Amino acid sequence: MNQSFSSRYISLYDLCALIRVVIGDNFPEYLWIVAEIASIRENQNGHCYLELVDKSEERIVAQVRATIWAYNYRTLTQAFEKATGETLKKGMKILFNAQVQYHEVYGMSLNIKDIDPTFSTGEMARKKREVIERLLQEGLMESNKSLPLPPVPQRIAVISSPSAAGYGDFCAHLQENSYLYKFFLILFPALVQGEEAAASIVMALQHIKKQLHNFDVVVLIRGGGSQVDLYCFDDYTLSAEIARFPLPVITGIGHERDDTVVDMVAHTKKKTPTAVAEFIISGVRMFETRVEELQNTLARYAERLLESLQYEIQEKMITLSHTVKERISHSYAQYQLLVMRLCSVSRYSLNHHQNQFYLLIQKEITVYQKCLNEEVGKYSLLEQTIRHFDPIHLMKRGFSIARVNGIILTCVQQVENGQTIVTQVLDGYIHSKVEGRS
Amino acid sequence: MNKKDHLNYKQAIEELEKIVKEIENGETDIDLLAEKVKRATFLSQFCKNKLRKTQEELEKFLDEIEKESGKQIEPPFDSDIDH
Repeated sequence: MNQSFSSRYISLYDLCALIRVVIGDNFPEYLWIVAEIASIRENQNGHCYLELVDKSEERIVAQVRATIWAYNYRTLTQAFEKATGETLKKGMKILFNAQVQYHEVYGMSLNIKDIDPTFSTGEMARKKREVIERLLQEGLMESNKSLPLPPVPQRIAVISSPSAAGYGDFCAHLQENSYLYKFFLILFPALVQGEEAAASIVMALQHIKKQLHNFDVVVLIRGGGSQVDLYCFDDYTLSAEIARFPLPVITGIGHERDDTVVDMVAHTKKKTPTAVAEFIISGVRMFETRVEELQNTLARYAERLLESLQYEIQEKMITLSHTVKERISHSYAQYQLLVMRLCSVSRYSLNHHQNQFYLLIQKEITVYQKCLNEEVGKYSLLEQTIRHFDPIHLMKRGFSIARVNGIILTCVQQVENGQTIVTQVLDGYIHSKVEGRS
Repeated sequence: MNKKDHLNYKQAIEELEKIVKEIENGETDIDLLAEKVKRATFLSQFCKNKLRKTQEELEKFLDEIEKESGKQIEPPFDSDIDH
């Protein structure tokens, strides 16, 4: 039975051994291969394990494991970083020299001997170009730049890694400025290096977005030192987020190489965190200088205005005093003429009127005298009549006045027998008793 | 100084520029000159003071931020602000 079966199968090991031979025979040489890194990790012995894929329209169409042995890995990565400014990382396309290997237990893998960094540089440049083109198409390239930078960016939201040296430099530089300007810095911690950096920065931006009114600008800084690992700053999502951000974003990513896409879309880009601090301080200084200039200009203008006004007043005073003097002397002359005329006119008029008056008076007097004479005539006639009826005068002619008890007697009934009658004559009174009436 | 509460740097410098321009163009009534100069001095002083805010104002600002964002503020800037 064993024999009959043994003719019908081979062991797994035999199969694998066979595969190994076939592969070994067919791929005896090292090959140049292009693939994308799907994952990469380094173990504690310094060996590097990668998962390589090939994609067609975002779908994985091939996948193979690969290894870079420790003795190769250090020199390879150093050369790669030097040429590209990047570390090997997920999502990166590489051109590598490898041999196909097959192991009965571990299966197929590629043993990488060399990597050509120029391919990756080109590949990254292409990707970066694509991101830029997309941002251009979406009209985002200039969005953040078009925001006005506040005259005094005093309240600053800082995105950085809290432990980064660049962050410390930035804070110290701002807070110790020689003009004693105060800045309010709030840190929004984020990873600024590695695969997670882009997403982490986007998250920090979203935190800031919730309290926009507290800030004037956003500053994105990265610690100095390492010149590599800027790949995340070419990320589309991050770049678009910065482009669309409602506050001006200032970058100080700290690199000497070409600008990253984030630098391109940012409002202002500076090389280092310290340069960003410098930029902000000088902006504030410019503002203050402008305020001082305006105040000085104002003082100058005000002084000049007052001076010219004073001059004008003096001029006017002089003109006025001239005019007044002229007027006065003119008026005085007029007055004198007038007085002279008045005198002569008055004199003439007076003479004339005097004559008239005399004539009038004389006429009046004549009339009056005539009247008077008439009146006097009338009066003397009257006087004669009055004198004629005077009782004294009558008494002289023999008439007397009789009274009883002081009452003038005019009829018989006024007296009774025995009553005394007093009779007034010219030279006195006669008392007589009534004896009878008839 | 009630005006101070509503004033920001932009408004301050714009008003200052306006005053200077008016005087420059001779549009200012001489009777208002003293008033304008006084206001300009106030504005410029306002800016200068605001640029060098007091510790007290700073703390108020931080309090506000903390209130709004709850936990998320990290303290490392404290040491920076203090000196």
